[in-house]
Parts: sequence; structure tokens; C-alpha cells
Amino acid sequence: MRSRAFENAVLASPLVLFLLAILGFPALLSLVYAVSETTFRTLTAPRFVGGANFAAVWADGAFWRAAWFSLRFGAITAVLQCALGLFLAVYLYPLIRRHGWMVAVLIVPMIVAPAMMGLMYRLVLHEFVGPVPHYLYLWFGWSPAFLSPANVFATVVAAETLQWTPFAFLLFLAAYGAIPQDLREAAMVDGTRPWRLFWRIELPLMMPTVFVALFVRFIDGFRVFDNIYTLVGAGPGGATTSLSIYIFETFLRRAEIGKAMAAAVLLFLASTLLFVAARALVLRGREGRG
Amino acid sequence: MALRWAVFGLAALLLNFPVIATAVTAFKAPGEVTRNPSLWIEEPTLANFAAVLTASDRLNIYHHLGNSLVAALIGAVLPLVVAFPLAWAMVRRGVGRGVLFPVVVNLRALPLIIFAIPLYMMYAAAGLLDTRLGLGLVLAVVNLPLAVLLLVNAVGDIPAELEEAARMDGARLPRLLLRVVLPLCRPAFVTAFVFGFITAWNEFLFGLILTTREAVPVTVGASFFFATAGGGVQWGMAAAVMVVAALPPLVLGLVMYRRITGSVMAGAVKG
Amino acid sequence: MTRTRIMLAAAGAAALAAGAADAQVTVLGWPGGPEETALRAVAELYNARPEVAPENRVELLFTSRDGFFDKLQVDLAAGSTAFDVNLLATYSIGRYAPFMEPVTLSDEAEAVFGETVLSTMQFDGQQYGVPTDLSLHFLYYRRDLIDALLADEAVRARYGDIAEEHLGERLEPKAPEDWTWDDFVANALYFSRSVNPDSPTRYGTVIQAKNLLFNMMVFHSWPRSYGADWLDEEGRVVVDSEAWRGALERAKLLFDLGATPPDSTAYEYAEANAAFASGQVAAMVQWNAAATELTEAQPDTAITAPPAGPEGRFTHIHGLGLGLNAAAPNREGALAFLEWLSTEEAALAYARAGGAPGLAPETAAKIADERPDLVQVGEFASTYGFVMRGGTSAEALSVYEAQAQEFTGYWAGTQDLDTAIANAEAAMTRLLQ
Repeated sequence: MRSRAFENAVLASPLVLFLLAILGFPALLSLVYAVSETTFRTLTAPRFVGGANFAAVWADGAFWRAAWFSLRFGAITAVLQCALGLFLAVYLYPLIRRHGWMVAVLIVPMIVAPAMMGLMYRLVLHEFVGPVPHYLYLWFGWSPAFLSPANVFATVVAAETLQWTPFAFLLFLAAYGAIPQDLREAAMVDGTRPWRLFWRIELPLMMPTVFVALFVRFIDGFRVFDNIYTLVGAGPGGATTSLSIYIFETFLRRAEIGKAMAAAVLLFLASTLLFVAARALVLRGREGRG
Repeated sequence: MALRWAVFGLAALLLNFPVIATAVTAFKAPGEVTRNPSLWIEEPTLANFAAVLTASDRLNIYHHLGNSLVAALIGAVLPLVVAFPLAWAMVRRGVGRGVLFPVVVNLRALPLIIFAIPLYMMYAAAGLLDTRLGLGLVLAVVNLPLAVLLLVNAVGDIPAELEEAARMDGARLPRLLLRVVLPLCRPAFVTAFVFGFITAWNEFLFGLILTTREAVPVTVGASFFFATAGGGVQWGMAAAVMVVAALPPLVLGLVMYRRITGSVMAGAVKG
Repeated sequence: MTRTRIMLAAAGAAALAAGAADAQVTVLGWPGGPEETALRAVAELYNARPEVAPENRVELLFTSRDGFFDKLQVDLAAGSTAFDVNLLATYSIGRYAPFMEPVTLSDEAEAVFGETVLSTMQFDGQQYGVPTDLSLHFLYYRRDLIDALLADEAVRARYGDIAEEHLGERLEPKAPEDWTWDDFVANALYFSRSVNPDSPTRYGTVIQAKNLLFNMMVFHSWPRSYGADWLDEEGRVVVDSEAWRGALERAKLLFDLGATPPDSTAYEYAEANAAFASGQVAAMVQWNAAATELTEAQPDTAITAPPAGPEGRFTHIHGLGLGLNAAAPNREGALAFLEWLSTEEAALAYARAGGAPGLAPETAAKIADERPDLVQVGEFASTYGFVMRGGTSAEALSVYEAQAQEFTGYWAGTQDLDTAIANAEAAMTRLLQ
């Protein structure tokens, strides 16, 4: 029994030691900063102020607007990407089995750096240089303001979805491919229709992957930074400030280091709690099903 | 089948539209970019690419590419190495399930750049500043949450009976992990590696702050072509740089897709 | 193929040689663009001087342009020894000064640059840098369009109608050299199809209004000509004033009436230039750096100073310069280089190599043949240039950020003027007092 505990410790140690080595000191110092008044001038002499930074963040309307933006953005894009990715993976699977190169074509957007993707959209959506407004104006005499406050949320959601649907698509493709073929064949022999086969047999088997994909896409949408920042920045009046953008600007641009750290600590606590709760729900759901 | 092809064509066009439009722009002369926004190129030119290449007397692009390659490899491989044993211990024995797992996974939600200052100080003391290793180590932290998540998911999918059988044969733990569990997790390893490599290759902020001269990655090195502050953006040239800078991860992705799709097919056949 | 290969080999060799050279004063410059070319030229000149010892030669370092100041902030705050001399800008001087040390200028400096330009590199009464490049604003306009407008009696009435309807005052078309901001607005409306369906251009102007601090600098010349400032003489924030409100409201009118592209609330420098270059914009206020790009795209582009207001004609100015890192490993060598950089010899060499130094009229006259544009820049800077009170303080960058956030929000319609002004005033009070 004792050797088993030792074994477990050995198995966990590489990751734990690695994390401690790289993030141990930064995390500790960040916690100190979070309860101190710190600027770039007082990095080595932070002044303890207790919970003042947390209170400042808590009272900051911009923080809550950013949190709401991130939450909405993460949830909407995660669902869109997973639905689209699942559809593409399942619907195109018969083709992809024979033509593997199709996968390569579909995963290209994911390979482009998000910051660069933001820049590409600046070009593509520009009223005078971009092809999208050009053709809309040419064919419909319509020149929509993609980045105006009214439309900018939809635009960045679309951009994020188009770039990261391939991620979900890849995960689902792997999961779908891993479903034993004889299971399908047996169902077909029983006369199960494809639609029913998908709902009753295939989808339940893919559920763990669906959860992973939804979770990863939600987290990535929630922490969105590069593509929005290069495309529209914080947005007019801060309309596209995600939590990451809020923290980044508070930290580097406004040099309120303590406040930025406090916001990060709150974010980390909230996301961890959310994660633990979500996992408990999923596990209970699974046990409930039997 | 025709409908499936149509769906594929539409998806390919829609998903790749910004990339296609950017690639088209890269072949337009500066004058044409502002005059002709359509996807049709009146006078195709290689001038933008030539400009990017001739600027390399100031920008040693191979040096930057080498830095990116080394740092991204460290950043993609290291998380897999440290996460794999833990992933197994977590699934089979519940090690770290309560605290370690949520903490590590939720690192992904944090903008890790907030650690820039302490990291910088620590790196300066440890001599890791402006080194490929130093950059690679940070990128490994960035990739760790996804690696843990994917590997835990993959180990969880392995039937416990398979491992029991190997145990019966007297396989000790290291052997079991390397010879039985690892091969079965190969698809997850490949997926996590590809995602990790791409993320690491595309990372900008840590590359910016933790390097100055020796270890500057290509994302940072090439940014002066399309920087928005100060001088202008030459759209044609910016587009050419974007195309060039996206090529290496693109090639990797296209090479690795065989492994991914290969494992997809293997799964199908295995069943 | 072979040529490319040789070129690349040469580039590699050059890079190696640069690394191996025993140059000991490391200078962090502004990467890309003419600033880099010019700095390379003067560094070469300096290193060739006989009195410069090998261990005091200058080696240049260029990091990324994107995020340059973010990186510099971290480098300086953490006491980086990677460079002795670094770039600084008027608007960030207060933020970086605590990590830098004052420099000594050559005796010629005041004659070369003039008082106004030297002051762009001063903080707390001390000289923190040698000015290298000067940025200010021009009014760019399409001469062909304006000429046609001035020549045609029939359309003058239409112009007057539009001005009367939207500005409450009947204005006559005028040469842009004589414009007030009201003329600028009337002209912008006249040349916008949303207001005047017969307009030859789609938009009368383009205002880059992305939530970005630089865009506030472009806007500042407007309220300034109505007497706006950040602080009054007693150091009180005076953003809630008629001058600020009036300029903000007039600009808002242009957004509301479609006289600037609807997406321009997400435009920065590059997008605005692209709009003007496409030929669909009649006039715009933009950085002097855009002159070449805009003139090349639209040959009929003409340049003059920004419009005037009741208090006169103004342009925001700021300088880029080089200063001393407090943690510099080679302090003496760095100071020697900086002192030389402020001589006439260096300034003229910098200008000849493509830089844009702000030169006093007598100095600019010496290279008027090669760089006539610098005469104009120098003249505009000394005649119309201003820096807001508090514009070089430690929190200047944050003030610009706060204004960008609030004012772009007002223009884009996410908040009203009173809220924007109140928020800006609160932020500025916190930052400046």
C-alpha cells in the first residue's frame, strides 16, 4: 500500500514539479501584488492594502461588463462551433473516409494565428479594400457596418466560430471514427434508420468528447484576446472588452498591477468553481443514466 | 453524395474565406489593393513577396524560424511528457482529481501574460531570458491544460480489462504505461501535439516580452511588416507576410492530418 | 535563384558580423520604417568617427513594433541591461522617466531643434531624450474636388443649403488653407452621399475612431482650437467645457449623418488611409507620416495645416527620441553618443537618411533642397504645435486611453455626451490630481 502511494507520487511529480518550477514564484508574487498597491515603479516594494484591489475590481462596472461579454461570447461560440463541427464531422464522414485530404482543407483556419486572423478580417471587412463589403455593395447596393456597435458582437462571434469550428470538427471526427463499425452494422441490420442510429447509439457514445469539446471551446471563447484585440481593440466605449482584454489593459496599459492581479484571481476562482460544479453535474448525470 | 460534396465545398469556402481573400491580396500591387477590392486580380504580381524577402537583409528570417521551431517543439512535447503519467494515475487511481485537475485545466482560462513581470524577474535571475528553452518552457505551461484534458479523456476511454490482462502477464507499471497505455492513446497524443505546436508557434506576447535578440520567434520578428502603430500598413505586403508566416504550421498541420485521419481510420477498422 | 541565395548568404554573414562586432553601446530603436533606416545611417556615421573608441561604438537593437511600448515597459521596470539607450515618446516620457536618467545635450542642440521640439523630450524640467522624429497633423484634401467646387457657381448654393441645414449657418466654399472647423464639417457633409446624393465621393471625411489612444491625439487639434486643455493653470481637470463639448458634438454630427464611413468607429491609421486612398473621401486630418502614401494613391492630394477655431490654428505634436536607460551597462558611452546625436551634423544626417526630425527654421533651410517637407513640418510645429497641459505627465498615456474609451463610445452611440464627459473627467481627475 505504501509503495502504491509512492508510485502515485512519482506519477504526479513531473507535472507538479514542472508547474511549481515555472509558475510557483510568479503565482506567489501575483498573490502578493493582488493585495498590494503596485505600479511598475514599486515592483520590488509593493505596499500592502488588504482587499482594496478586490473591492476596486468588484465595484468596477467595466469588469462586470467584460465578464458578461466573455460569458456570452464563450457560451455562444462554443455551442455554435460544436454544433457545426459535429454536423460536418458526421455528415462528411463517408466522404472523408475515402478522401483524407478533405480534413486538411477544413482545418486550415485553425492553423492561422488568431492575431493574424483578426488582422485578416480588418482587411476583408474594410469598406474600400475588403472583398466582402465590395461584393455586398456591388450586388445589393448595401454597405453594412460590420464593426459598428450594433453589429460588432455578431461579427466577432462569426469570426471566432469560423476559425475554431475545425477544432471541434477534428475532435468529433476522431470520436466518430472510433465508434466500432460492427455496432453500426448490427443496428443497420436491425433496420435502425440513420437518424435514429445517430441519436440513440452514436451520439451517446460521443458524449464524453462532446463535453470536452464544449468545455475547451467555452474556455477558449471565454478568454478570447488576440483576434478581437487586433480587429477592434477594446471596442467603442469598451463594447468588445473581454475579461482577458480588461486584465491586459489594466495590467500593461493602465499599469494598475494590483487591480489586474485581483481580477485574475477572481477569474481563476470563478472558473475553477464553475468547472468543479459542471463536472459534478456531468458525473451525476452519467451515474443517473446508469 | 453530391449534396455532401456541396456541403463540403460551402464549408471549405466559408471557413477559409479570410485566408483566401488575404492570399489574393498578397498578389495585388499596392495601387490595385486600394483600387480593386474584388477577388479578381487584374495584374498579378510577386512584388509583395519579393519585398518581404528582400527585407530579410534586416530580418534574418531563418534565425526566427529556428527559434520558433525549437520553442514550439518544447512547448508541444513537454506538456505531453509531464501530463501522461499523471493522466493515467488520475483516471485509474484518482490522483489529483480533486484539486490538481481543476487547477491545471483552469489555467487555460487565465490570460497568463499577467505573470509576465515575475517570470521576467525569475528568468533574468536564472539566465533563461532571451533563450529558446525559456520561451519553450512558458509555452509548455500555456499548452499544459489542453494536454491534461485530452490525455485524461483518452486514458478514460481505454477499457480497464485491457490493462488488467497486461498486468496478469506480469508487466510492471512503467512497462504497462509505455507499452500498453501509450500506444492506445496515440490519437490523443497526436491531436494534443498538433494543437500544442500550432498554439506555441502562433504565440506572440510571451515571445515579445521574454526575448530581445537571440530567441525572438517569427511571430514577433515578422510583426514589423504589419504593425499598426506608427508607420502604415501596406496591405499587400502585410498579406504576403501573413501567408508566409502561416506556411510552417500549415505544412505541419497538413503532414500531421494523415496521422490524425490515420488514427481515425484505424479506429474504424479496429472496431 | 542563385541571386536570392547569394543575397540570403550575404544577409546571414552581415547578421553574424553585426553580432561579432565589439560595439558596446546598445541602442533600442523604433523598428521598421524610415526611423530605422535613418538611425542606421547615423549609427554608421558615429562609429566611423575617430574619437569613438571601439568599446563605445553603437550597436542597434530592434525588437517588435507591435507591442513595442508594452515590452519596453516591462524591460525598464525589471531593470533590463539589454540596452543602454532606448526610444521614448512625448506621451510616454512620464511613465518611463523613473527608469531613465536625464541626458546632456550638445551646445548646438537649442539652435538645431528649437525650444518647442526640445520640450517634447522634457519631464519635470529635465531633458530626458534627444529628439529624433516629430509627429504632427496635416489636413489632407483632394485639390481636384475642391477646385471643381470653388469654380462652379451652381453648387455653391447647394453647399450653403447644407451648411445652413446642419450647422445653422450659411457657409461659402473656401480654400482649405482658410478653413475653420465649421468649414471642415460643411465640406465633409457636402461631399457625403448620405447628405448630398450628387457627391462625387461616398464620404466627405474619415475620422479614425477606434478605441485607441493615438486616435485621441488626432482629434485633439480640434477642441484645442476652441481653447480646450486637460488642466487649467491651477491644475484642475477642465474636460467638462464648451470647447471639448463643442468639438465632440460636431464630430458626432459627422458620424450620425454618415459623413465618415459607418465602420470608422473601428478604424485606425491604416484603415483611414485606405479609405482616402480609394478616392471615396474628400478631406481628412491625419499624421504627417501619411503624406507619401496618400499622395501616391491620389496624386491630387494637397496638404495644409489643420482647420482653425476661435482660438487659432493648432496641431498636436509629439516627438520620438532616444534617452538613457538607468540600468545601462555602458553609461558613459551612451551619454557620449546621445550628446553627439543632438549636434547639427547628426540631425542633418538623420534627416538626409529619411528621418523626420523637427528642425528649427535655420537648420531646416540647410537641407531644404533635399527635404522640403521638413521645412513645412518645422514651420507647422513652431507655429501651430501644442502639448496639452499634463500631456507629458506620468499618467499621460492613461489619460489618452480613458478619453479614447469614453469619446469613441459617445461617437459610436453607446453612451451620451454627458456620461462620456463625466467618465472622462472622473478618470482624468484620478490620474492627474
